[in-house]
Amino acid sequence: MLKSDGLKKVKNDLILVGVICTLSLVGFLIFKLTMKDGNRVSVSINGEEKYSYSITDNVETDIITGNNGENNNTLVIKDRKAYIKSATCPDKICVGHRPISKDGETIVCLPHKIVVSITEGK
Amino acid sequence: MKKIISLILVGLIIIGITSLTGCQKDAVYEKFTDYSFDYFDTVTTIIGYEKSKQDFDKNCDKIKGLLDEYHKLYTIYNRYDGINNLCLINSVKDSEHSELKVDQKIIDMLNFAKEMYELSDGKLNIAMGCVLSIWHNYRQDGISSPINAKLPPYESLIKANEHTDINNLIIDEKSGTVYISDPQMKLDVGAVAKGYAVEKIAEYMKQNGMDGYLLNVGGNVRAVGNRRDGKKWTIGIENPDTDDTEKTYIEYLEINDMSLVTSGSYQRFYTVDGKNYHHIIDPETLMPSDRYLSISVLCESSAYADALSTALFSMELEDGHKLIESLKDVEAMWVITNGQQIYSSKFKDYCTKE
Repeated sequence: MLKSDGLKKVKNDLILVGVICTLSLVGFLIFKLTMKDGNRVSVSINGEEKYSYSITDNVETDIITGNNGENNNTLVIKDRKAYIKSATCPDKICVGHRPISKDGETIVCLPHKIVVSITEGK
Repeated sequence: MKKIISLILVGLIIIGITSLTGCQKDAVYEKFTDYSFDYFDTVTTIIGYEKSKQDFDKNCDKIKGLLDEYHKLYTIYNRYDGINNLCLINSVKDSEHSELKVDQKIIDMLNFAKEMYELSDGKLNIAMGCVLSIWHNYRQDGISSPINAKLPPYESLIKANEHTDINNLIIDEKSGTVYISDPQMKLDVGAVAKGYAVEKIAEYMKQNGMDGYLLNVGGNVRAVGNRRDGKKWTIGIENPDTDDTEKTYIEYLEINDMSLVTSGSYQRFYTVDGKNYHHIIDPETLMPSDRYLSISVLCESSAYADALSTALFSMELEDGHKLIESLKDVEAMWVITNGQQIYSSKFKDYCTKE
C-alpha cells in the first residue's frame, strides 16, 4: 500500500516534470515564431519614419508624398499582412510586391522614396 | 526518487533563469535600421546592433559620408562642382583636354572593371555605355508611357556597338589620368561601381571596428564582420516568379562577413507587345538575355558578387557554372526561365530552412 502510494506520487511528479518540459518547449516555440512574424508596420519617407501601425490593425491609408502632395501610394494592412494596393509611381514595383509580414521584410517605392517595413516592435 | 525529481525541477528552473539572463545579455545590443535614397539611384539600408541610437547614428554618418563620396565619383548621370567624376569623363569631347586627372578611387574601380572584363570573357563590359543608354531611354519612355513602348531600332544598337572597345579606355596610373581614345565611346559602370564602393566601405568599417553591420545598397547585400549578438544574418532570396503569390522566398541563406548580390530580370523591365524586356543587355546579341529569371552570387567581396551576377546573366549556364567553380570561395545560384534552380557546388552549405 505504502509502496504503491509512493509510486503514485512519483508518477504525479513525473507528469509535472513532463508538463513543465512541454510548457517550456511550447513557450520556446511561440517565442521563436513571434520572432519571425513582425508586430509593427513602419512607413518611412525619404529615410524618416512617418507612420507606424500594429500589424493587427485594419488599415487602408493614402501615403502622400512629393512637394505638392502629387504622389500617392495606398497602403493596406489586413490579416497581419501589409501591401501597397495602388500607386501613382511610374514603375509600380511596389504594387507588384507580395504582402509582407515577417520581421525585416520591406516594400520599397523608389520613385516616391517610401519604405514600408515590418519590425519586431513591442 | 523524490529527491531526484526535485533536483531535476531545480535544474530546469536554473536552465530557465540562465536562458532569461541570456536574453538580457543580448538585449544590451539593440537593432537599428536606417534608410536613405541619396546614393547610386537606389535605396540604401544600414542595419546595425549598437548599445545606443547615438552610437549607431555616429557610425551611420560615417558610412553615408563614404557612400556620398563614392556616389559622386562614380555617377554617370550628374556632375558636381570640383569633382572629376565618371559623368565628366564621359562628356569630355575636345581631344586636347581629354586626359582627365581623377581620384585614385576612380582609377582603382576602372582597373577592377577591366579585370572583370577579362574574367568574364567580355560579358561584363563597362565600355557599352552607348548601347546601354539607348536601352535606358527606351525603357524609361516605355515605363512612363506603356502604350507607346517601343524597342530600340536594331540598326541604332549595331551602330552604337561600334564604340564599345574597352581597350580605348586608357588609364595612366602614374599621372592619375583617364582618357577615352574613341571620342564616341561612353562608360556605364552600373554593373561594377555600386558593388565596388560597398566593398571599399566594408573594408573601412572593419578597420574601424564597425562589426556586425548589414549594408544593403539596392539589393547589393554586404554583411560586415560578425554580428554582436553572436547570430548570423538570415537573408531571403526573392522568388523571381512574380505570379507565384504563395512563395515569397525561394531560398534562405545564413551568412556572416559575406556578400550576396542577386541580379534579376523580374523587376526592372518594360513591356512591348506583351513581352518583357529587362535591363541586363547581352554584349553579343545587344538584347536582354532571356536565359534566367535571377542569378545570385555569394562570396566575400561585394565587388565580385555584383560584377559576376551581371556577367553570368549573359553567359550560357555551362560556361557560367565553369567560371564560378574555377573561382575560390565563390558560389552561385541560377534560376532559369522555367523556374528551375541550379546551384554551384557549395551554395547549399549556406542555405537554411528559414
